[in-house]
Amino acid sequence: MSSPLVKPFQENLSGYMERLEKLSGQGKKIIGYFCTYTPIELIHAAGFLPVRIMGGTGQIDTAYSLAPNFICPPLLLSLDKAMQGKYAFLSGVVQSYTCDVVCGLVNIWEENIGGEIYHSMALPYNDSPEGRRFYRASIQELITKLESIGGTITEASLRTSLELYTTIRNLILGLYSLRFQGRLPLSASDLHAVIQAGFVTPPQEYRTMLQHLLNQVRLDGTSIVEGVPLLISGSIIDDLLVMDIIEESGGCVVADDLCTGYRHFYPSCGRGDNALDCIIDRYSCRFPCPARTRAIERVPLLMDLAQRSGARGIAFIFQKFCTPHLSDFPILKEELGKAGMPNFHIELDAAGITEGQLRTRVQAFIEMLED
Amino acid sequence: MEKTRKSKKRLNAAKELTRVVADYYLECNAAKREGKPIGWMPPMNGAIELFYAMDLQPVFPENWSPVCAAFGLTPNNFAVAEKMGYSRDLCGYLRNITGYVHSNMNDEGVPLGGLPEPDMLLSPGAGCIPVMKIFHILERRFPHARVFRADLPQVAVEDIKEHHIAYAEYEIQRLIDFLAEATGRKLDYDRLKQVVVLSDQACALWDEIMSYRKYIPTPFSAAEIGIMFVMVTRQGTKEAVDFLTMVRDEVKEKALGGVGVVEEEKIRLFWDNIPLWYNMGLFNYFEKMGGVVVAETYSAAWSLRLDTENPIRALAMKSLMSYPLVSCVSVDKRKEMVLKACKDYSIDGAILHRNKSCVPITLGQMDIKRALEEELGIPSVIIDADHMDDQNFSVAQFETRVDAFMEMLLEKKGLVL
Repeated sequence: MSSPLVKPFQENLSGYMERLEKLSGQGKKIIGYFCTYTPIELIHAAGFLPVRIMGGTGQIDTAYSLAPNFICPPLLLSLDKAMQGKYAFLSGVVQSYTCDVVCGLVNIWEENIGGEIYHSMALPYNDSPEGRRFYRASIQELITKLESIGGTITEASLRTSLELYTTIRNLILGLYSLRFQGRLPLSASDLHAVIQAGFVTPPQEYRTMLQHLLNQVRLDGTSIVEGVPLLISGSIIDDLLVMDIIEESGGCVVADDLCTGYRHFYPSCGRGDNALDCIIDRYSCRFPCPARTRAIERVPLLMDLAQRSGARGIAFIFQKFCTPHLSDFPILKEELGKAGMPNFHIELDAAGITEGQLRTRVQAFIEMLED
Repeated sequence: MEKTRKSKKRLNAAKELTRVVADYYLECNAAKREGKPIGWMPPMNGAIELFYAMDLQPVFPENWSPVCAAFGLTPNNFAVAEKMGYSRDLCGYLRNITGYVHSNMNDEGVPLGGLPEPDMLLSPGAGCIPVMKIFHILERRFPHARVFRADLPQVAVEDIKEHHIAYAEYEIQRLIDFLAEATGRKLDYDRLKQVVVLSDQACALWDEIMSYRKYIPTPFSAAEIGIMFVMVTRQGTKEAVDFLTMVRDEVKEKALGGVGVVEEEKIRLFWDNIPLWYNMGLFNYFEKMGGVVVAETYSAAWSLRLDTENPIRALAMKSLMSYPLVSCVSVDKRKEMVLKACKDYSIDGAILHRNKSCVPITLGQMDIKRALEEELGIPSVIIDADHMDDQNFSVAQFETRVDAFMEMLLEKKGLVL
């Protein structure tokens, strides 16, 4: 049962494509992005609306005519929707290079869907003074591209956008903080719906919605889910049913390491003398995606998250064919095992969730934790 | 056709290639015994020239995988990796090398003596995700090896700008400093220049060799593409130049003399994506219908000429360009290259290998397929397979598709079987 507190967010989510279509029709340029490494502050500062491209749920009909069936389902679903014209409100796609599939998909999108801006931004893997100089040059290149389609970026507009997104990230992290303390009166799927709404809602409006939500949940102050505290880790989760199944099977999601979750928001800001340096600092020090770091370096971060949230086990939820996550898993499993953190993994494929199987696996894991 | 099969080779150079391959691996193992520092690295970047210039031994785990496939080691390596928890959906190179280094990698009976353990690992922040993850696994497997965390911009060839080159040059310089510190050997820049000249000569020879394939009939097919070995492992050495010179001479003679691969060359084919290393004989399959594979995408990665006057910049450019040229980082450029090759090599039809082990090369293939048809009127066929894992390859499906495709091409040209 969903909390009434999240109703406005669910409403935004359910009709977002029509609303964005309308907004685009009114002359607002909307730019899509796939991955959390995309500096959305810059897109916003240029006067455009950054919107995260989501695959959602459903069947893949046409995407196989452009892409193989061995890439992750969310990206295939996104392409499918784009081919059906559902992303016609986008003026293009801006992306930072993270996984190979996203990079290739941007090129395929450009070739087949059309639009006026397509850009894959190269990022440094090493955080060093020279790496940051390169980062700055990459951002300047993006700024030039954004300006070529009518955007204008000034230090003031960048500062305003940065503050807006920092506030949003702090509000979301506020919700996470309540969740860590067991005081968030929202289920995992409700919190995820709140987050997903933010990917497709204009940020000023979303900030107001979040402020209102946070005020209300602070008044309430009790967790509505009881169960074994779990951390979930993976990439994109578009289908909220996964989280419901976990919580209905005796688990309580207290933290996440998801691309569509904590990784998108932590930390809320970076340090620096100017807005650009703050942006670079944040993206350089952010909670990492496995596409840009080593499994071994994720272990202490996961252990720390588990410790702060009180998680007693980790459920890895992978999208089928997701190379960065699947490659890291054996090392994570071994190291987390050594650290005494039980874990298991499930894979989501293009056919969607096999509910019965998932429930059985989650229940078995939870029973093991309870023993 | 069998599921795994060696190719039938017709060049005399093929015999020499067997020696070149054996010599390289003997040299790798001798280096270990002699105390020469050994570094494992990914292919297609400028580190190889630095290694040869500093008299260090480069080793390429990615290149070892085709050797494992050819010698039938992959099933065991895959089983070991799978037991460790590596999914069968992961790249075959990753699963093979992971299994290999976690089993009895230097046991007696391992072909060519196996790979010597690394003293250094050049762990890339660049290229594809599987290659990065391979090196993360190797870092853990060989904890005593010194690790250089390389970093290169992933950018489409057509979008390379000065800041990408500057960062790549910085990284080359940083690697030079790392190697000097880790091995106590100083780079002699004059020697580096000589090595870069040799590397460029190899590229020029490669281009020349490939150009003779434009002749009708073509002097050799993709069944001989193993000659690429020297471009992967020996760039910057006299051995590579000598071997390629020999290949060039033989190929030139055949081309000018009108000596082809089959008695009557009816259909000229293009191959996109990595070959099936466990079944190089597949390239001979087309021959019974008069088909010859005369060009491929993969060989384009070795065509990059180097600016010999500016070795550091040359190596930076090579490192930046090689991978994007053949992957989905540069779909536009790749499409342009394929179309150009199909025109230059008088191609009748293209075979697009939809490779489960290589998403970066596979993505964008459908756009290439459409462009071939719409812009050049060249038909193509998709073959579902895997460059390392024969479990993802169905002989029956391959034969059915290829036979129908070849019949259509023959009919289109007014020819018969």
